[in-house]
Amino acid sequence: MLAGGQSLVQLLKFRRCRPSALVDINGIPGLDAIERRDGELHVGALVRQQALLDDPQVAESWPLLREAAGFVGYPETRRRGTLAGSLAFAAPWAELTAAAVALDAQLDICSAAGQRSLAAREFFRGPGETALGDGELIVAVRFPAPAPGTGAAFHEVSVRHRDYAQVAAAAQVSPDGHGELVLLCVAPTPHRVDVSEALTRDDAIADLLGRLDPLDDVEASASYRQRVAPVLARRALRDAAERAHRRAPA
Amino acid sequence: MSQRVPVHVEVNGRGYDREVEPRRTLADFLREDLGLKGTHVACEHGFCGNCNVLLDGAAIRSCLMFAVQAGGRSVETVESLAGSDGELDELQLAFTEHHALQCGFCTPAMLLTAKQFLRENPGVTDARRIREAINGVICRCTGYQQIVAAIAAVAQAQQTAHSIRIETAPPVRVAQDTR
Ligand code: FES
Ligand code: FES
Repeated sequence: MLAGGQSLVQLLKFRRCRPSALVDINGIPGLDAIERRDGELHVGALVRQQALLDDPQVAESWPLLREAAGFVGYPETRRRGTLAGSLAFAAPWAELTAAAVALDAQLDICSAAGQRSLAAREFFRGPGETALGDGELIVAVRFPAPAPGTGAAFHEVSVRHRDYAQVAAAAQVSPDGHGELVLLCVAPTPHRVDVSEALTRDDAIADLLGRLDPLDDVEASASYRQRVAPVLARRALRDAAERAHRRAPA
Repeated sequence: MSQRVPVHVEVNGRGYDREVEPRRTLADFLREDLGLKGTHVACEHGFCGNCNVLLDGAAIRSCLMFAVQAGGRSVETVESLAGSDGELDELQLAFTEHHALQCGFCTPAMLLTAKQFLRENPGVTDARRIREAINGVICRCTGYQQIVAAIAAVAQAQQTAHSIRIETAPPVRVAQDTR
């Protein structure tokens, strides 16, 4: 299934997958809508990652989505690559997977047999593995609106600016103090941490993260990730809380 | 799969009709089928940005797109920049004046990516924004400094030519609040 092709065409060239046929969905009308529907942000399968940076509604009401999209690839790849494709590909470093989990996104999945919806929090099964079955296509991703004034921040560490993340942290904090934190590359799937305590107690983060089982690969060692994760987590939560404070209606 | 399909693409203002294999990348199509060798390919996997061309005015990786996907759309390659008499355009001139190339391999992609930036942000000389724009194109020779200088020089000339006034951002204020 070909949408943006920024990951798939790479795989084809590496001969990591050799499909007998490729279906280009770019011509399907109606899949490129990014709009507010019933209070949710509805993002069609063909919406490019760049649109998340350009859309004023995203900037206004889903700041975490925008923060995360800013770390995805380069302008040239964001103009082709799609949000849905990034989720379906499920690379462990894919920033948008963290945003989808933190924001409790719902995925609308379609196949010849019918349609189903699945929470992003249940969708990821491992690096490059998802709950998507044969013949299934994500047609839209829906994001519930965070409370007004919610602040968000995204932090990541990589060898070179814009390279694959070695560790990343996505956080959002609402004005009433409810927090979400999701880390990348510290577990086989985007790792959601209960941060209710961390927002009030400063030393809690390290405790919370103590039981991690980070990836150990060519990008970074597990022990490096173990050490960096709490630092990024703390920065992301701090910035998100500060922004929530500033955005809060007086 | 060697079955060919017809495709019509507008390249540098001229329409081309060709029959291509569906698996043909846009980069290979431009280079091999149209003979426009100004588009360079290096990694062919989307990492280096040397194959950037403008698709409907916006830079994309031509090695990650199939030629059939460009059907009915308009592509600009580096060959579009110079005049028909070979006269260099302003950006190309600035690149030569500022020594913005050494081996020249990344130059076509740099020029096109910068072209789009200057079209969308005429007169913007802010080095940070220029760097952000060309961030996806790897140059292994210059260290980027001269490339940024060349692009900024054209932006500066745009300001003068069109008397564009660019609002400079207010100086960053250090927070007084020591909570
Ligand atoms: S050749 Fe296309 S990105 Fe390197
Ligand atoms: S001038 Fe040699 S790669 Fe840029």
